[in-house]
Amino acid sequence: MLLVLVLTMMLGASLASATTEEEGVVLRVGLGQPWTTLNVTAGFEVSVYEIWNLQYATLTDKSADDFSTIEGLAESWDASDDGLTYTYTLREGLLWSDDTPLTAEDVAWTINTSRDQGWGNHVATTVNLDAVAIDDRTVEITSLVPDPKLPTMDVYIVPKHIWEPIAPDGEAVTSYEALDGVGSGPFFIEQYEPEQFVRMRANPNYWQGEPAIDTIVFQIFTNADARVAALQAGELDAIHDVAEESMATLDDDPNIVAIAGYQGGFDELAINGGAAEGQPHPALLDPIVRRAIGMAIDKEAVIEDVLAGFGEPATTISPSADPSWVPDIPEDEQIAYDVAGANALLDEAGYLDTDGDGIREMPGGGDNIVLRHGVNTDSNTYPAIGELFPGWMEVIGLGVELNSYDGGQLFEVIIAGDYDTFVWGWTPFVDPDPMLSYFTSAEIGNYNDANWTDPEYDALYEEQKQELDPDRRKEIVHEMLRIMYDAGVYYPIYYSPDLQAYRTDRFEGWVRQPADIGPVMFSNTSPSYFQLQPVGGVVGGGISPLVLIVAGVVVLGVVALVLANAQRKRATADERE
Amino acid sequence: MTVVVGDRKRQRWVEVAREFWQARSGRIGVIILAFFVILAIAAPLVAGTDYINPVKARAAGLPQWGTPAEVGPLGTDHFRRSVWDQFVYGSRISLLVGLAASFLTILIGSAVGIVSGFVGGKLDSALMRITEWFLVIPFLPLAIVLAAVLGRSLLNMIFVIGITSWPSTARLVRSQVLTLKQRTFVDRSRSLGGSGLHVVRQHILPNVSGLILANTTLAVPISILTETTLSFLGLGNPQTASWGKTLEEAFVNGAIARNAWWYYLPAGVGIVLVVLAFTLIGQTLEQIVDPRLKDRR
Amino acid sequence: MNARFAIGKVAGALITLGFVLVFNFFLFRVVQTDPVATLFRGRNIPQERLDQLRAEFGLDKPLGGQFVDYLQQTAQLNLGLSYQSRQPVWNEIKSKIPATVALVGTSAVLSAVIGTALGVAAAWRRGTKTDYSITTSTMLFYSMPDFWLGMLLLVGGAIITGIFPVGGIIDAGSSRAGIGRLLDQAHHIALPALTLTLAYLGEYAIVARSSLLETMKEDYLVVARAKGLRDIKVRNRHALPNALLPVVTLSAINFGFVLSGAIAVETVFSWSGLGKATSDAIRGPDLPMLQGLFLLFSAAVILFNLIADLVYGRLDPRVRT
Repeated sequence: MLLVLVLTMMLGASLASATTEEEGVVLRVGLGQPWTTLNVTAGFEVSVYEIWNLQYATLTDKSADDFSTIEGLAESWDASDDGLTYTYTLREGLLWSDDTPLTAEDVAWTINTSRDQGWGNHVATTVNLDAVAIDDRTVEITSLVPDPKLPTMDVYIVPKHIWEPIAPDGEAVTSYEALDGVGSGPFFIEQYEPEQFVRMRANPNYWQGEPAIDTIVFQIFTNADARVAALQAGELDAIHDVAEESMATLDDDPNIVAIAGYQGGFDELAINGGAAEGQPHPALLDPIVRRAIGMAIDKEAVIEDVLAGFGEPATTISPSADPSWVPDIPEDEQIAYDVAGANALLDEAGYLDTDGDGIREMPGGGDNIVLRHGVNTDSNTYPAIGELFPGWMEVIGLGVELNSYDGGQLFEVIIAGDYDTFVWGWTPFVDPDPMLSYFTSAEIGNYNDANWTDPEYDALYEEQKQELDPDRRKEIVHEMLRIMYDAGVYYPIYYSPDLQAYRTDRFEGWVRQPADIGPVMFSNTSPSYFQLQPVGGVVGGGISPLVLIVAGVVVLGVVALVLANAQRKRATADERE
Repeated sequence: MTVVVGDRKRQRWVEVAREFWQARSGRIGVIILAFFVILAIAAPLVAGTDYINPVKARAAGLPQWGTPAEVGPLGTDHFRRSVWDQFVYGSRISLLVGLAASFLTILIGSAVGIVSGFVGGKLDSALMRITEWFLVIPFLPLAIVLAAVLGRSLLNMIFVIGITSWPSTARLVRSQVLTLKQRTFVDRSRSLGGSGLHVVRQHILPNVSGLILANTTLAVPISILTETTLSFLGLGNPQTASWGKTLEEAFVNGAIARNAWWYYLPAGVGIVLVVLAFTLIGQTLEQIVDPRLKDRR
Repeated sequence: MNARFAIGKVAGALITLGFVLVFNFFLFRVVQTDPVATLFRGRNIPQERLDQLRAEFGLDKPLGGQFVDYLQQTAQLNLGLSYQSRQPVWNEIKSKIPATVALVGTSAVLSAVIGTALGVAAAWRRGTKTDYSITTSTMLFYSMPDFWLGMLLLVGGAIITGIFPVGGIIDAGSSRAGIGRLLDQAHHIALPALTLTLAYLGEYAIVARSSLLETMKEDYLVVARAKGLRDIKVRNRHALPNALLPVVTLSAINFGFVLSGAIAVETVFSWSGLGKATSDAIRGPDLPMLQGLFLLFSAAVILFNLIADLVYGRLDPRVRT
């Protein structure tokens, strides 16, 4: 009886992964993070942006090389003299994937409705905008305030004829399943199995032409080792989120390329700046102590011993996926790893270890300086750095008390200000504004996890927000980042890459965004998929080996189904007896 | 009868000790345990703390994953830390948690058992309900849930183990107390006007102390193994490297895949030996205290 | 069977389960944090959307209301959404039950059979080298943390020799079906099942051995032997059936622990069952998931205890007091 039960369950499990029929040239991508929803007004995971990037084209596109604004659905645009109004001209003959014409009305409706209903991924861009469709191919967008992001208009345009019937009720919009598969990008959603896969089909109506690939399957493999094994076996063509220790093995395979793609993510050591209600240890209010702590951070040790080499030592925070927003800081002005220097600074400032227990006290005697360090247990990296941190502090004579929190708890501790230091990270958008906003005084109690404010920084933030000259804006941002760096409250340790790998024997033409350093998938606009070509002209239609394999799988799946049902019946019969 | 209690008590303990040393398993247990206790106490003499600090280990040029042949006693780990130093200092934490948690277990268990058995009535049935409940609920999941909710610290670990493992002691002590209660000398003492507390101190405690001692010794292996498992699952204090924590770090950081035996073996062997030692000692004691068990071993 | 006895036992089990529910609810509410804030850190999400999500998680109600909700939802197997996957906890748990039952069920049966056999062998040859080596080795396995034993077997069976896979339930991306798939799964289950079998059998061996020794002192056996019956006959006809009762009790109790029995070992072998799910949920901590798992583990034990009680009540009228 037990044996039958076990057999049944195993066969039952084997059914779950049986594959169904495919057509044409298929690209298979493995990733670990399942989707909550594919609805563009409600989803939020990195994994779902990839789907939207393919399904929905935008008015303006971004260059794969450097994110600069290029033509998208709009072939041209003009600015008004005051810079507040832009008039976009759509390409001729645009069609949705269901052959309905794509007009200025779709664009205007998306912008206005997303603003009114506060759609999660649109509202930050559209909050101050108003769009009017002048005619089928002309849309006029006006901003209430000067907006340096314009003419960039990168919100996903959704088909009005599908979404308008749902939209009167804001609740209905966010709970809509959004599996209509009507899009304007190179691919559209064909099938979605929650927790398992999303299958996308080439859109013949895409404005750049029909892609060379017919089908893309995004397949969930929650286990990182399983993803690697499937790539090696050729069952996947590309995988996202590779474990550091698998990178070397993958790169040894002549048919596989493993890359570390940078798009601005970084992890930092944050020191409590004292702007929240809970206060840091009084020593941390002294810039000299904060500087000494900065000098005790061994970035190379983290990159070598924790990240297996996959990281770049960081200076300031990176506010954008585009690295040109990070200022160059001359080497002699950087806060570099220097234990002796840090000790000298602390000695001079009077933080001495008078009782000889290895830990310094406040000037004039008093209690030991012990820092409460918050460890985020949501990943393996932060606890590993948490093991290094007490060592760094020990050699400059500071004590550490480690407190473990999950992300949610740590967030609350930070808001309350009940900590001295912690290590966590950010991944920025392309426009630097959101990341810069986090460190303004308005964000205390919300996103400002430095609990640090600076009036000059705040003023510059307002200035860049409305500065329409891109070069001048970049200068202002560099100045802001320099102020923050010198304040010594927020020490980025490294810029962290996305680790990805792809096979070279079936497809070619992977595109890194930004050029040379970025990832090939899950980047800001995901340009790879339209560019990919089958190697050696493998085209759909004829009977490729793949079709045979798939057919074989289907047959085996049916056999398994029959077997499993037979077993199930027997099992229930056994139970009845 | 009460006049000679003191003398008899002393005599009894001497007897127990002699009998204990005569049993081979008891002897082996004591020798193993003595070794680890000495190691823990003498830690600063045989090991150092410098190379437990990854910063100092790196500064000293120790390699990652250094083999014992390359870098001395037990090699180094992924953070270039000395495994030997971690092992020696880890023995302190493992023994400390094991003993403290067992002490708490026995404290709660004996208190509940004595009160429940001696007072009886509604209090007894209420206490026994709670005991039953703890006995039925799967022990490790309960400990995991408590530890996850309370947070990771040494004290919490001791508390969690103590609070989850007392019920079997309570039941054992209670039944012993019930038996004693029926004996005449308790009755006589009560009829002579002895207060409840007096009776417990004079008659109940001395007679259950042997049982409690044996039970404590047998609780230690369970405490140590629980600490090890909870630490392995990531519920240990990140700043105190117990043997369980060492095993977790070895596993998480790939010591298995690269077969860095010097990293994952010592802590495990240490646990097995200490657990074995306490089990041997406990079983020997149990046999002496409860002679009915003797034939079965 | 006596109906009153049965009703009493069922009521007792329900009360125990009720305790678990109350405990479960209040323990987790004590530490309730705001998971919504965690999920959305680093993203520009409007406040209304955050509030909406908090409402979805039911975090905006007073404690009493949350408890009533909790009871109602639990009764409908609605255990909330996992913080990590944002899938219903019961779906997550349900999909992992077969893997755990397969692994721990196999090991439970094997350890009971092998452990009892070893215990009987040791008792029968009491004081010999066989007895000594059996008692010593079972005690050694009993003293090992089960996951460490798993790590050793993993190194020996997979890393060095490469005979067995390093983890998982099937080969990743394997397209085999039917018998091939079954063999693949057997290949994967071997090491974790061996680990658990070795870890559990000590208990059975010890119980079987001491129980048999106890029985053999009983008068009727002495008589049987005195009558000149051959040892083997004495053992099989008279001693064993009586001595095995405690073993049956032990296995009945242990079957209740089948679901929760392999938390650390599943982690070592990446066996994605309930145990692995538990250790994954710890890291978050994914409180709804932990809560659901704990409830399931407790319910399984309570149910099996109830079954054991009822069956004994039927077999042996003396226990119906």
